[in-house]
Amino acid sequence: MPDPIVRVEDVGLRFDKFTALDGVSLSVETGQCIVICGPSGSGKSTLLRCINGLERFQAGEVFVDGVRVRDNTDLPKLRRGIGMVFQHFELYPHMTVLENITLAPIRAKGVPRAQAEKLARDYLERVGIADQADKYPGRLSGGQQQRAAIARALALEPKVMLFDEPTSALDPEMIAEVLYVMRDLARGGMTMLVVTHEMGFAREVADEVIFMDRGRVVERSGVKEFFTAPRADRTKEFLNKILVKF
Amino acid sequence: MQYEFDWGMLLRSPYFGWIVEGVLTTFHLALLSWVLALTLGIVIGIFRVTNSRALRVIGTAYVELFRNIPLIVQLFLWLYVAPQLLPTETRLWWNRLDYVPYWTAVIGISFYTASRVAEQIRSAILAIPPGQFKAALSTGLTTTQTYRFVIVPYALRIILPALTSEFLTIFKNTALALTIGVVEITATTRKIEAWSFRGIEAYTVASLTYAATTILVVVFMSWLERRYYIPGLIRREREAA
Amino acid sequence: MDWKVVAANYPLLLKGLLTSLQLTFVAIAFSLPLGCLIAIGRLSHRTWLSRACTAFVNVLRSNPLILILFWFYFLIPLITGQSVNDLTSIIIAFVVFFSVYFAEIVRSGIQSVGNRQIQAGLSTGLTYAQTMRFIVLPQAIRAMMPALITQCIVVFQGTTVVYVIGYSELLHTTSMIAERTVRPVEMYLAVAAIYFVVCYSASLLARRFEKGRA
Repeated sequence: MPDPIVRVEDVGLRFDKFTALDGVSLSVETGQCIVICGPSGSGKSTLLRCINGLERFQAGEVFVDGVRVRDNTDLPKLRRGIGMVFQHFELYPHMTVLENITLAPIRAKGVPRAQAEKLARDYLERVGIADQADKYPGRLSGGQQQRAAIARALALEPKVMLFDEPTSALDPEMIAEVLYVMRDLARGGMTMLVVTHEMGFAREVADEVIFMDRGRVVERSGVKEFFTAPRADRTKEFLNKILVKF
Repeated sequence: MQYEFDWGMLLRSPYFGWIVEGVLTTFHLALLSWVLALTLGIVIGIFRVTNSRALRVIGTAYVELFRNIPLIVQLFLWLYVAPQLLPTETRLWWNRLDYVPYWTAVIGISFYTASRVAEQIRSAILAIPPGQFKAALSTGLTTTQTYRFVIVPYALRIILPALTSEFLTIFKNTALALTIGVVEITATTRKIEAWSFRGIEAYTVASLTYAATTILVVVFMSWLERRYYIPGLIRREREAA
Repeated sequence: MDWKVVAANYPLLLKGLLTSLQLTFVAIAFSLPLGCLIAIGRLSHRTWLSRACTAFVNVLRSNPLILILFWFYFLIPLITGQSVNDLTSIIIAFVVFFSVYFAEIVRSGIQSVGNRQIQAGLSTGLTYAQTMRFIVLPQAIRAMMPALITQCIVVFQGTTVVYVIGYSELLHTTSMIAERTVRPVEMYLAVAAIYFVVCYSASLLARRFEKGRA
């Protein structure tokens, strides 16, 4: 069996008195789509940021594609292999959509501009907003902005994609278009780690679901099992709370 | 650097008396000007957001005129030019007053500062969400009650930090009154330096006066802000980060 | 009133205005870069550096410009052990004094961009320096422009303070003419108009940047 693309071992992280992560371990195989859910403050987003070295953890180890993430790691090089999508899109407001996407390929990977632009247009096509390439992010709808942000991450041609609550800042009518793109990616074989409360997406697309609470992984199971027969009481409680809405 | 310190000289006559006088002058000049600037500034600030076009023009003209001319130049205008425009009787009365430079400084500093206060008032009023007014009226409050219980308390919290810094600015600006002959603390220490050539000791007194007042005001205002602090209002950004 | 006195002294006034403008430019040219350094120092993760810069800013901000001018006017000859010309003392006082105001503008400009944009830049594999250069600074400069221009107007208005040590910028020149010709009303009104025109034009420029941002 090949090495997992992402391996997190017993990671711990404290801010002052608050324990954000408390001995978290997980692994992601190439091609898997894993959904992480849990109440707010449970450490889901922090965990994602530890994987691409945006957050420094104090205990444990993280490996991405065999590279160990720690202080002296070449972080820019590591991050070029990991795409990340943020809750609030974080497109650069002073650049056009196309410039947003080509910035890192040109500056961080040294791809020639013409080639980077072609690549960018291909990915914009793929997320369905090829016609928006030359607009500024402020002119786009929320759903279009998030799809542009996904294209920006994809343009790195990453081995794994991290999604940090990609739909929770969106109006309801725009959630579907973003989930559609993500579903398409997962089916295309992209390795994905998705923090989300979209249980419909999890049920349909995810290979496994992880439930986190208070900085710990409470439960990890296959999708069917997770929704029909959760093991931990806290998972049941959480599912009751969020599924009752639908 | 050759310099022999003599801090004791500050307590000797006549310097000590001068210092006390200078500090007091700085304080009452600042406070008196502040009261006037605040009153005038609130009026002009409200002018700038009223529905009346005439009042808005007056307000805008006032602000642009007074903030685009350096304060010292304004002080000179009040001292040399303004009295010439008065009727003869009034001019003679004015010139016979004691402390003409002092009253000139009060007028000059408060008119100048009023333009800055007006801008703060205007942006505070514009920062109040219009929905607040409608919401208050819809619960059956009268317009007066709406202002009294909803709008003013809200606006005050927004404007307090800005007014604090305006007060500290007026306090520092009183030093410019020395250009028209008001002997406040900076002028006093300049005079002590000229008499004794003890610049370090003298200017330290002035700097400490300004620094100590700043610290006191800042500590008091942040206590006030904390006391009336409302979660979710004003410091929203810091919490979101 | 007799406006001929203004016309007659027009060359002197122009020379005074140019001196004031030169003083403004030199002060800005040195205090803006120094202000950037102080701002970066305040944002540094090294506690001692950030504290030292904060203290420097707070001490200077609590003092009036005129007092700082007196301080340097007295201290510089004492420290260097020789008499220096007025202009040197004036420029050093202005640069030190205004650098802290520029520092505060630069700091809030950088902070206005926000940590999340930095994280987004880093997450795509840009280095910290690249993130600063391509993502943070272009946005920060845009956000700072109106405040920077306004501060330049403040520096220009601040040059009137050197009147007290008799350096012949616009205001001092005017006061000399006013005294010589015994025409203070015309002269001071004229000089007020000159200051107004310069400052008001610059403030219109600042407002254009403000609108451009929205």
